[in-house]
Amino acid sequence: MLQKKICMLGGFAVGKTSLVRRFVQSIFSETYLTTVGVKIDKKSVALPDKTVDLILWDLAGEDDIGSFRVSYVRGATGLVLVVDGTRAATLAVALTLRERAEAEFGAMPFVLLFNKSDLADRWAISDSEINELRQLGWQIYLTSALSGEHVDDAFRQLASMVTK
Amino acid sequence: MTSTVDPISLPQRTASNDTEIDREALASLLVEIARNVDPDYRARFDGVPTADPRMETLRQLLVGREISQLSRVTHLLDEPEQLAAAVGGVLPSAAARASHAQLGEALAPAVERAVQRSIQKNPRTLTDILYPVFLPAIRKSIGEKIDQTFQSLNESLRHIFTWHGLKWRFEAWRTGTSFSEVVLKHSLVYRVEHVFLINRNSGLLITHVTAENATSEDPQLISSMLSAIQDFVKDSFNEKEQSGLDTIRFGELRLWSEVGPFATLVAVIRGNPPEELHEVIRDVLLRIHDECSQALEQFDGDSSQLVGVETQLQTCVELKQEESDQGFPWLVVAAVLLVLIPAGGWFFLSWQSGQRWQAYVSRLGSQPGIIVAEQKMRDGQFYIAGLRDPLAADPQSLLSGTQVDPARVHSQWQFYQSLEPEFVLKRLTASLAPPDSVRLSIVNDRIVAEGEAPDTWIDRARAAARQLSAGGPAFDISKVRDVSPEARAAERWQAYVSRLGSQPGIIVAEQKMRDGQFYIAGLRDPLAADPQSLLSGTQVDPARVHSQWKFYQSLEPEFVLKRLTASLIPPDSVRLSIVNDRIVAEGEAPDTWIDRARAAAQQLSAGGPAFDISKVRDVSPEARAAERWQAYVSRLGSQPGIIVAEQKMRDGQFYIAGLRDPLAADPQALLSGTKVDPARVHSQWQFYQSLEPEFVLKRLTASLTPPKSVRLSIVEDRIVAEGEAPDTWIDRARAAARQLSAGGPEFDISKVRDVSPEARAAERWQHYVSRLEAQPGIIVAQQTARGGHFYISGLRDPLAADPQALLSGTKVDPARVHSQWQFYQSLDPKFVVKRLTASLTPPKSVQLSIVQDRIVVVGEAPAAWINRARAAAQQLSADGVVLDVSQLRELSLAELNNLREAIQATDILFYSGKVVPGPEQTPVLDRLADQLKEFAQNARKSGVTARFMLTGHSDATGRETANASISAARAETVRALLNKRGVAPELLLVRGAGTFEPAVPENSRTGNSANRRVSVTVNLD
Repeated sequence: MLQKKICMLGGFAVGKTSLVRRFVQSIFSETYLTTVGVKIDKKSVALPDKTVDLILWDLAGEDDIGSFRVSYVRGATGLVLVVDGTRAATLAVALTLRERAEAEFGAMPFVLLFNKSDLADRWAISDSEINELRQLGWQIYLTSALSGEHVDDAFRQLASMVTK
Repeated sequence: MTSTVDPISLPQRTASNDTEIDREALASLLVEIARNVDPDYRARFDGVPTADPRMETLRQLLVGREISQLSRVTHLLDEPEQLAAAVGGVLPSAAARASHAQLGEALAPAVERAVQRSIQKNPRTLTDILYPVFLPAIRKSIGEKIDQTFQSLNESLRHIFTWHGLKWRFEAWRTGTSFSEVVLKHSLVYRVEHVFLINRNSGLLITHVTAENATSEDPQLISSMLSAIQDFVKDSFNEKEQSGLDTIRFGELRLWSEVGPFATLVAVIRGNPPEELHEVIRDVLLRIHDECSQALEQFDGDSSQLVGVETQLQTCVELKQEESDQGFPWLVVAAVLLVLIPAGGWFFLSWQSGQRWQAYVSRLGSQPGIIVAEQKMRDGQFYIAGLRDPLAADPQSLLSGTQVDPARVHSQWQFYQSLEPEFVLKRLTASLAPPDSVRLSIVNDRIVAEGEAPDTWIDRARAAARQLSAGGPAFDISKVRDVSPEARAAERWQAYVSRLGSQPGIIVAEQKMRDGQFYIAGLRDPLAADPQSLLSGTQVDPARVHSQWKFYQSLEPEFVLKRLTASLIPPDSVRLSIVNDRIVAEGEAPDTWIDRARAAAQQLSAGGPAFDISKVRDVSPEARAAERWQAYVSRLGSQPGIIVAEQKMRDGQFYIAGLRDPLAADPQALLSGTKVDPARVHSQWQFYQSLEPEFVLKRLTASLTPPKSVRLSIVEDRIVAEGEAPDTWIDRARAAARQLSAGGPEFDISKVRDVSPEARAAERWQHYVSRLEAQPGIIVAQQTARGGHFYISGLRDPLAADPQALLSGTKVDPARVHSQWQFYQSLDPKFVVKRLTASLTPPKSVQLSIVQDRIVVVGEAPAAWINRARAAAQQLSADGVVLDVSQLRELSLAELNNLREAIQATDILFYSGKVVPGPEQTPVLDRLADQLKEFAQNARKSGVTARFMLTGHSDATGRETANASISAARAETVRALLNKRGVAPELLLVRGAGTFEPAVPENSRTGNSANRRVSVTVNLD
């Protein structure tokens, strides 16, 4: 049994929860997010040589960075940063959250998801901006919780990154 | 470095730096040595020592630096202190880099010895160091111990007097263990269902073990969530404690967690676990940490490294305590029986006595009207409390025959009204007192009344039934028949007949009833009460009454009086009354009336009461005049639009006062033909507006001037307008209608049709144009209305009214007005005056006015201004406008200044302590008043306002506050005196200066009369 703790970080209403809802095993209701501030889900990813259980800590999204419970990130081996592609400001929020987490617990692998790719008409992030981030060697996926596009790819990528 | 025995002079040069060998020196040295190798050459130099110093030099040259470093290191190693310092410098990092296992092994003996030594030396030091580590552990351990004790105590107490308790006591005695241990063993039934080993850092599950038949959700998620909750609690309550959540309890389920350095062990326990289980769990966790501490520390989510842990956890899951059935304890039963038999006998006796009591209580309970609220037995005494109806059986009397000792019975009864039918029946019988013809009975819990009764009783019964309906038994009165209405009718008839009999002027001769019809016959005076009208209110049906009345003239004085009053119509001045059966007339009457009264008296003398007219005095002709006057007054009073408020006659003169509408008939004109002498009539009429429709109509016609197309008329006291009218008129009419609505007749204008808006717009436009034309400084050259738009053009003076502004209030739509105005300077004197006022800015003392189209300048002004005015006059004359400046006077203030000085030099003097000046000051005051008036007048002429400040002063004797008030009072007095002499009070200001502004300096003892004064200062605004 190989497990990894993964934290999902992102601003308010970027779609973290709906992103995983269809693709993970979960036994806890979403009210945990508002009560305890975290909801735990599991995503099993089959890699060529092994199977990894990603234990996903879905942290309650807050645009107020100050209320981010950084202690929940302790022991995490990877991050899923989620950005709402229709709200440019959520990119800054996700990056700030990553900085907070890494400042506390050191650098760790992550994937950056630009969510809501189905809302093309309201898309607020330019391709050049995304390409610039790719230049940094970041793993970036345009995902849609609606169609499920690229969600599995992203988790597979992160699984292979955290098991290296 | 240089050799002292160097025979060859070697070029000695120090190296340019440490690393560089002096190549030149090395080369010459090597040449030198090479030469020495050649024997010939060597022979030439005798006495060259075998130990060649050059070698030494060579070594110095090649490895000199290394030699010096080596010597430094040697020195370091040889000197213990330096060596210690050097090693000390690198020791921490060396230790950090060393293999932990080896270092630990190497250090262990030394550390152990050191700790041992430290404890031997002073145990406190180590205790202090470990204190923060031990304290929480000790605290927790003690806490658990206490919990354990409580648990044991609780369980022991809980079971001490139960069947289990006895059983367990027996077991404890049999097995030789303590009772509390046995109790705990039996009462703490639990099972460890799950054990989770969770990585403390990441919350990831290391291992999970489940008991048989136990199920749970995904353990990986649960373990993460458990640690998330731990974090949540810690963060939320800012808990610094290293340990985490100890216990989570949810109904039957408990989560116990033990926190280790790298892993947390969570046991899920169903049931009631003993506190010792904490210890067991902790032991397992310790053992796991012992065995696999490294693997735990390095856990990265791969649990394959920690397979062995599972067996450890398995020991936890096997923990349980289950209810055991140990067979029936016969011995206990026997023992219990032995105790029970003697006790049983005693119980039986008290039971029997109780039984009797219960019999009595249940008998009471079954009694109607008795409710037992509470009853008990204690110490052989019986207590009972409850409610009883006063009509119910007496509880005391019920005791007899029950074998219950009355002395031991303590009762407390409160009275209440039972709603059981029999009690209600009793109460109804008492309260309603039904007549003999009515029978009350109980039928199926309902109270039924049967028989005959008068309606009054039925009404009362019905009220009682209504009252009972709220919770009580039904009271059915439907079977009570109302006794014959005929009886009642007869009763009423009799009442009517006796009423008639008592009426004066009515004599009942005969009356009877037959078949529901009533017959009555008799005599009645026409003036007596009408028997028919007396029927009303008696409830006797008039249709069933057949009367036969014959008229007669009653000679009872009151009827005679009535008849006389009717036939003689005595004037107001005569009063008829009955005195001792005689009719007496008193007062004044004209002779004609007295004659008629006398005739009547004669007629009456035959059988009737006496009619005494001796006390009626014959009134003089004045009375007749008065009568006429009254006729006139009443005629006036009946005139519409005339209200007589007051009228009287005195000494042959007539006075009348009141209100009259100007539109009403002239009271004077009405005099003609009344025979009232107009010369003796004194009238005082005040005009008022009558609200009678005809007057209102007249006034409306006058004030509204309705156009010919409108017709006003009066329809049923309402004034109705019909026809067509422009809206302005309708508006005015509406306003008038509103005004009238307060008390006046209604003014209905709904039938007036509004004439076409265009016509109105045109009308308004014409109105506006004519208004413009009337404006000075505006000349309308051309204006047309076309297609709903208005066009106007012309000339206007810039000082003239703004045509645009004049639009407001005209209801002409400004958007439809197209104007073209050219400015020009109007020579209208009004505009010239405006322009002059703006350009010349005349002083206040100058007035410009227009007299017969000429502009006249009047007043006083400085010479310079007069010059400018003259220049302007010349200029204007070219335009044909006359500006008359001949009446301007040059302003001179010299005269005023003299007067001002004279005024300011005046003082009004006072005697000591007085606020009114002495009589010798009167001429001074007179002169001052004249001067002030003259000054004020002259100043006003010059366009300035003069004000005079009257300042009161006092001498320095006495208190300062008194002086201040006396000085102010003096000033006030002088103002009053000046005012009396015709000086306008608004020109006189007053202040009190006390002693602060003395005329002459003074000694406060004696005072100085010159300082008791009022002085005057002149101010010009």
